[in-house]
Amino acid sequence: MLKYTIKRILTFIPMLIAISLIAFLISINAPGDPVERLSKAAGNEGSADQQSGASKKIKQELRKKLGLDLPIFYMSITDLASCDTLYKVQDKYHKANLEALNHQSGNWEAVSNYYKKLLVLQKESQQLNAKHIVEEDANLSLNTVNEARNQFGFEVGSLLETAEEEIIVIKFDKMEVLVTSNTFLSHLAAPLALVKTAHAAMFANATRWKTYIPAINWYGGKNQYHIWLVGDGKYRKGLIRGDFGISYIDGQPIADKIWQKVWISFGLSLVSIFLAYLISIPIGIYSAYKKDSAVDKGMSLILFILYSMPSFFVGTLLLLQFANPDNLSWFPVSGIQDPTLFDSNWSMWMKFKHRLPFLILPIITYTYGSFAFLSRIMRVGMIDIVSQDYIRTARAKGLGEGKVILKHALRNSLLPVITVFSAIFPMAIGGSIIIEMIFSIPGMGLEIYNSLLNYDYPMIITVFTLSGFLTMVGYLVADLLYAVVDPRISYK
Amino acid sequence: MQWLTQEFLTNRIMQNTNENFSFKKYAWTQFKKNKIALVSLYLLLILVVIALFAPYIANDRPLYCEYEGNTLYPAFVADTRSDSIFNTEGKFVQFLQYDITDWRQLDLTAVIWAPIPYSAGSMDRYNRDYAAPGGEQRFKNPAGEIIDIPARFRHRLGTDGIGRDLASGLIHGTRISLMVGLVSMGIASVIGIILGALAGFFGDTKLKMPRIKYWLTLFGIFMGLFYGFGQRKYELAAGFNEGFGGGMWEIFISILIIIGVTVFFRLLSKPLQFGKLKEEVSVPIDTFVSRGIELLNSIPRLLLIITITAVVERSIWIVMMIIGITGWTRIARFTRAEFLRIRSLEFVQAAESLGYSSARTIFKHALPNSLAPVFVSIAFGIASAILIESGLSFLGIGVPDDIVTWGSLLNLGRQNLEAWWLIIYPGIAIFITITIYNMIAEASRDALDPRLKS
Repeated sequence: MLKYTIKRILTFIPMLIAISLIAFLISINAPGDPVERLSKAAGNEGSADQQSGASKKIKQELRKKLGLDLPIFYMSITDLASCDTLYKVQDKYHKANLEALNHQSGNWEAVSNYYKKLLVLQKESQQLNAKHIVEEDANLSLNTVNEARNQFGFEVGSLLETAEEEIIVIKFDKMEVLVTSNTFLSHLAAPLALVKTAHAAMFANATRWKTYIPAINWYGGKNQYHIWLVGDGKYRKGLIRGDFGISYIDGQPIADKIWQKVWISFGLSLVSIFLAYLISIPIGIYSAYKKDSAVDKGMSLILFILYSMPSFFVGTLLLLQFANPDNLSWFPVSGIQDPTLFDSNWSMWMKFKHRLPFLILPIITYTYGSFAFLSRIMRVGMIDIVSQDYIRTARAKGLGEGKVILKHALRNSLLPVITVFSAIFPMAIGGSIIIEMIFSIPGMGLEIYNSLLNYDYPMIITVFTLSGFLTMVGYLVADLLYAVVDPRISYK
Repeated sequence: MQWLTQEFLTNRIMQNTNENFSFKKYAWTQFKKNKIALVSLYLLLILVVIALFAPYIANDRPLYCEYEGNTLYPAFVADTRSDSIFNTEGKFVQFLQYDITDWRQLDLTAVIWAPIPYSAGSMDRYNRDYAAPGGEQRFKNPAGEIIDIPARFRHRLGTDGIGRDLASGLIHGTRISLMVGLVSMGIASVIGIILGALAGFFGDTKLKMPRIKYWLTLFGIFMGLFYGFGQRKYELAAGFNEGFGGGMWEIFISILIIIGVTVFFRLLSKPLQFGKLKEEVSVPIDTFVSRGIELLNSIPRLLLIITITAVVERSIWIVMMIIGITGWTRIARFTRAEFLRIRSLEFVQAAESLGYSSARTIFKHALPNSLAPVFVSIAFGIASAILIESGLSFLGIGVPDDIVTWGSLLNLGRQNLEAWWLIIYPGIAIFITITIYNMIAEASRDALDPRLKS
């Protein structure tokens, strides 16, 4: 048994690596730039002028701290034309654009030259001091200068993010017009011309054939995935040591956030599964005891219908009926406590009494989900077992019906029930997203829902990986419990 | 001659009796015995009819009308259609844009409205803010007066907050729900049946090829992926920007490229087969597939789907694809088990010993005989696909806001509990559809495989 357990745990490792890879793959394809999001959360957002100085430096540091200046994975598969140090470009959109341009041209040197010239142009256009110009030339108003300058800045900015030939040509024309019609922009003509030559060179010296030859780049251990998984020894400790990173919403460590919320979901699923067993086991026993009676037939039909009823419909119906001023206002609509009344110094009993009305409807909905399923399994399992030879033997040797069912049959019909029990582990970390959303229960489910709405990917992929891990633990626990319940099963 | 005819006749009779006892007929008779399942089947047919004819059942354009002496069939033309209308004397009356015209305001001499005279997305601005089914509803007549609603235009099932008719939303939601079931399970079946069949038929040892061919096949798949997806990244993106059809077409081309490149490398291995390179090695295809199933099963499915939908673009088609791509494991497991059983039966061994190719044995002989349990799991899968889609729309994830689905309607009801009709009716629609599929699945399991009967 011990040997078997160890063997099973060892098979976790490749599976976990695969799951973490899937999670990571999803997260790097996520839209948006985490650094922008985090600095927005910290209140560092300002106009373009203010951003240039201090906050840019903060962002750079943040990028470094999050490890975003590193390559994504140990290796990458690109084509011969691509640049293997492209990850050093900080802006996500610039990076994507450079990749697209390079795909068109195949000549990385020309592309990077074009990019550098564009950056120079952007820098020069930003350095323009509107006040100076107005002071020197009285004919100009501050508004016109600012407008022209902003227009020019916008065109450069969009050039940095587009690879479509037609758009690039249009932008060039617009900038040309701006430069010729405004004398104070005339010094930008030279860098603009350089950009244009670089752009032409990109296609004149194109080496498209290079994009058809695959190339493998090797980056080694200093990459985002590696650091996310095992840490870098400096800022991060890595997933395997319990450091899940920080949330993009508020910068809090994800481990803390999960630790606070997980108990609510875990408690709810524990209580609801316990209740589901409490109801469905007697139903199963009764059905087997009175097989094919009218009650049994009616019950199995009802169970079937309940089984097809989506739990989010049931939850909403409960709200509609029992937490609605128009019908019956027995229970509060949402949350698990009333913040105006709740006092954290209360005794356990007081807390429980206060929370109970909030929890009744969610627990019913939670229970409902597994109850119908479990009852059907129990019924089928019991009926199957009652018709077997050893039950007939037990009856034949004169045992009472109660003893036959409870002692001989029940134990054997528990196997499928264990399978359901193993689902409790992932349920605790994943929560039931839909039910917690309906009743606004601040557990893991609602947390994931909010993370999704706010694109908080570190949270999502952490939950993703952990629930994969816990599912495997659940399967293992179930398999071991099988052996405990059923002596015929042994893992030797 | 007489003798021949008699033999011929006997044969005919034998065939007829055989036909009478064919498995399909037997299964159908068994299925028909289950009255509830039969009713479910008829209900499903009704749902299919509703889905097919949704635009003619619920439409705010009339099916037929007479306007200023012109006979028009507005519900049957394209949304973008526009006409200049001339009256009987040939005088210009109005420029009619079919999709934005409020047909109820026109002075129509004869008209046949659709049974539900509202489209799914169109907003009735006189009945905003959750008009109750039985409550007060307003209507603007062609004379321009606001009056109590005539019975013909009453929102029988009420409206939502922006005045969209619920009955119409339900009718169009039927279309989406059935399509979700069909498309996602179609994808899942193709993946599941192929992988399950390969894993079950070949196992870990039976698929053998020369070592060089094995290596070059793997290399070919890698190169195929590189040319098919890596190289065509921008073409694929451009295709999807055009619409779902464009994207699918580009994916189809990519898959052709992958197959082509793989085949090319396999052919390339022909002249290289000598010495050690020629030694036969077995491909552990069963291990690959089983590990894949195990991996996918160890991630909670709803979480996986939600996480992916959060990253990709919001589109109902992409939701269907994701549900399909994550839902093949059950089908693959059943197919694999069935193939393991069938592999050792006489007719498969006969086909093999006759020298038929593996592909022919699998697809022509083994597969038709292993589809029964697979069919059952597809039917159950459709029910759960519909459940997942409505759950996602209920959460407001994945499906765009402007598409009316049962789940999104139910979510509107949750946000405003006073509008009970937005909870009850969509909920019942979801519930009935899922029950129908579950009933059919269970009855066909009992009919197709009596061993599994419960």
